[in-house]
Amino acid sequence: MKLSRREFIKSNAVAAAATAAGVTLPAIQTALAAEDDGIRWDKIACRFCGTGCSILLGVKDGKAVASQGDPDSPVNKGLSCIKGYFLPKIMYGKDRLTQPLLRKKNGKYDKNGDFEPVSWDEAFKIMAEKWVAARKKGPKGIGMFGSGQWTIWEGYAAAKLIKAGFRSNSLEPNARHCMASAVGALMRGFGIDEPMGVYDDLEHADVFVLWGANMAEMHPILWSRLTDTRLTKPGCEVHVLSTYEHRSFELSDNSMIFEPQSDLAIANYIANYIIQNKAYNKDFVEKHVNFTKTPTDIGYGLRASDPREKAAKNRNKGKLSPISFEEYAKSVSEYTLEKASKMSGVPKKNLERLAKVYADPNKKVASYWTMGMNQHTRGVWMNGLVYNIHLLMGKISEPGNSPFSLTGQPSACGTAREVGTFTHRLPADYVTKKDAHCKFAEKIWKLPAGTIPRAKDPKMGKTLIHAVAMHRALTDGKMNCFWVMCNNNMQAAANMNVESLPGWRRPENFIAVSDPYPTVSAMAADLVLPTSMWCEKEGAYGNAERRTQFWRQQTRGPGESKSDLWQVMEFAKYVKTDDVWDADLLAAAPEYKGKTLYDVLYANGQVDKFPKQKVTDSDGNVYDNEEMDHFGYYVQKGLFEEYRRFQFEGPKKGHEMAPFDEYHKVRGLRWPVVDGKETLWRYREGYDPHVAKGAGVQFYGKPNGKANIITAPYEPPAESPDKEFDLWLCTGRVLEHWHSGTMTRRVEELYRAMPDALVYMNKKDAKKRKLRSGQMAKLQTRRGELVARVETRGRNRCPEGLVFIPWFDASRLVNKLTLDQTDPLSKETDYKKCAVKISKA
Amino acid sequence: MNICSLVVHAKPENAAVVQASLERFPGVEIHGGQSEGKLIVSVESDGDEESAANTMAAFRDVEGVINTVLIYHYGEHDKPTEELPSETIQKRIYQE
Repeated sequence: MKLSRREFIKSNAVAAAATAAGVTLPAIQTALAAEDDGIRWDKIACRFCGTGCSILLGVKDGKAVASQGDPDSPVNKGLSCIKGYFLPKIMYGKDRLTQPLLRKKNGKYDKNGDFEPVSWDEAFKIMAEKWVAARKKGPKGIGMFGSGQWTIWEGYAAAKLIKAGFRSNSLEPNARHCMASAVGALMRGFGIDEPMGVYDDLEHADVFVLWGANMAEMHPILWSRLTDTRLTKPGCEVHVLSTYEHRSFELSDNSMIFEPQSDLAIANYIANYIIQNKAYNKDFVEKHVNFTKTPTDIGYGLRASDPREKAAKNRNKGKLSPISFEEYAKSVSEYTLEKASKMSGVPKKNLERLAKVYADPNKKVASYWTMGMNQHTRGVWMNGLVYNIHLLMGKISEPGNSPFSLTGQPSACGTAREVGTFTHRLPADYVTKKDAHCKFAEKIWKLPAGTIPRAKDPKMGKTLIHAVAMHRALTDGKMNCFWVMCNNNMQAAANMNVESLPGWRRPENFIAVSDPYPTVSAMAADLVLPTSMWCEKEGAYGNAERRTQFWRQQTRGPGESKSDLWQVMEFAKYVKTDDVWDADLLAAAPEYKGKTLYDVLYANGQVDKFPKQKVTDSDGNVYDNEEMDHFGYYVQKGLFEEYRRFQFEGPKKGHEMAPFDEYHKVRGLRWPVVDGKETLWRYREGYDPHVAKGAGVQFYGKPNGKANIITAPYEPPAESPDKEFDLWLCTGRVLEHWHSGTMTRRVEELYRAMPDALVYMNKKDAKKRKLRSGQMAKLQTRRGELVARVETRGRNRCPEGLVFIPWFDASRLVNKLTLDQTDPLSKETDYKKCAVKISKA
Repeated sequence: MNICSLVVHAKPENAAVVQASLERFPGVEIHGGQSEGKLIVSVESDGDEESAANTMAAFRDVEGVINTVLIYHYGEHDKPTEELPSETIQKRIYQE
């Protein structure tokens, strides 16, 4: 039987769906003698969220034409969400940038000039001149703002360039705005970053609790796995906590809308309930847990001059002190059911039902959270309060019992966190505040001792500067050069009109933005560098469950666009050690005198160790690798293998990854990878090879092998609604768009499905302001205003007193409204809570 | 020519009603999965890509649909996609 081409494609499509769903179809015409349609298929990690789906990308005549959820992927098992499905289109927006653009007047760089095309050579020459001059002011004169969407080697190459080359700790990723609170709590609680559990918990758990995560829209594939479990496992329940009703409520068995910030009280109530009912796991607590408290009244990460900061008794403090179990029990005892219900507005019966499932020793509970808990001025505390509950019950580090922070970005874990592209971090959880760690990095990088600035450096002073502080430093003229890569930070930064744009446009500052499209950030810059994105380069991402995934270069970027990796390494050729190193350091390593940063950092006998080779798959297809062609060696392999040495040669264990070549063959592996085997549940004997025999459970990130329960109270938010600004404003994402919409707004279908940001509000709130659904409203905060269309019936249903507006829309810059408040410990921005007034536009 | 397939989750007891609602959309066919609560759906359209996308988007608002996941897409697109012209963004930044 011969099928028409259309029938053939259709039956393949249907077969793929049936396979993915595990459904047997009676009369499906499956692939009869595979027709040669000229499409080359290869695996690639999805470009969008932290789920880390594997996608099969179909390339024909050098162009991505089709995509399919990868049936061999243990993450998405053949599924794909709407954004993943349109992946082949994200490269082909008609305004792709193809040439470097520099602001010029009369043939010369001019901050007030118009963008003119220039060569890469001219671009890097002016940039190097500005960077060298700015670095002379000190390590904070320059700054780089990278991304949790960088590939692993891009982050690693950038960390080397800034920390070792320019000798500055002014390196931050946008992951600061998204995961820093999760990291802070994991380090404080367990001493090693990233979750102990894995996605397999989605099938093992009996109860799922969503704490400030709209998984249905933001992690749709994980949500479909959760949905499957809920619909097929007897007794399975889903509890959803949020400050407004969203699509995840459709599957909810216990829906709880709470007053913003009162999640702190709810979590403490649950701990109190467990203790009052003597339900806690005494044996586990005695063997595996320390009790501690954290300083309170710590401020809101605003500028030091803000009255709220001046009033804070323990501004930015977070040092833990030990307490007894009894003291801990007393600290949570004030959070009774009555009090938690009153503070949160959640009915008592719902709160009690939630507390009971945590307290039931026979129910396996998985807790999931994302930005609702991380973007929180008490985000580190709040993450910790959820760990407290799991630790009290011993419901951790085993199948189904899993406190799990879901990552927002595709490689916030793999790149930003694991490679350590933060101001205070080095690769593999090493930190710049420890001299021994810096020395260890210097040894691997073949650099003289003292090259990497210490957090408190004997010569340079305090060198750390976090993301929000970078924008403030630009505004104040303390930082003069800034390079933004792989993110749209002008659209993403809170209070952008007051704290971001003035700094970028300050006359003496020089801002470079690497971007595939003319984003808000690119247009606010002085130099725009065109980027080859995603499948236009060989890459690697690490997802939320510690899975490292590689892909081969599938297509070529347009025009003169280059990958971020190429840009970082090529720029290093334009700066010499003599330009940015002091005489003492050059004297300590005379062999590096007169060398370029490229020579010292990349042509160091390690990164350039692997010769040029053909990149092929198991079918013999041959793939491009433009960086290898340009630099003359297997750049990605050299960088990755050098990075791996941090995982094996230092005192810290538990970060081990497999050799480079292995990852091109598999659908990812979850670290630690020991003796070729990945690790699913960490810290538990039988699953984690690092746990000592007979220990049962061992939190080996901490010196005594015990995790910390950290008590922390409720404290009010920085800005609550008042008489004038009388509503809560919350911002976030929608299903159709990824972050600021740089990619997804260029896919026609996604653009049309959700063209503009709507302000979701309660019908009564709208009525009070004489507004109806569909009318234009003016949103005003103390910092800015914008106009958006009101929606009272849509997918997000807000309670009275709160509105939600997504931030993807470049024509409605929501971050003009938000407050640049952060968690004082993690320095992560709180985008979920500020006060707004709304009137008819 | 655009062809895609999806899995639509619905409680098994609602599957028949959901199936009937979905079949009202043009180009939609249901291939099975009713008893599992996972309907196997294909959507076809000619030329106009928008209609397939709209159909899929509309699925979410069908009563009884818990979740929709796309599995496979085939479409040879020849026209590049559009976005706000960059000049507009630039102008806007400087005006505000």
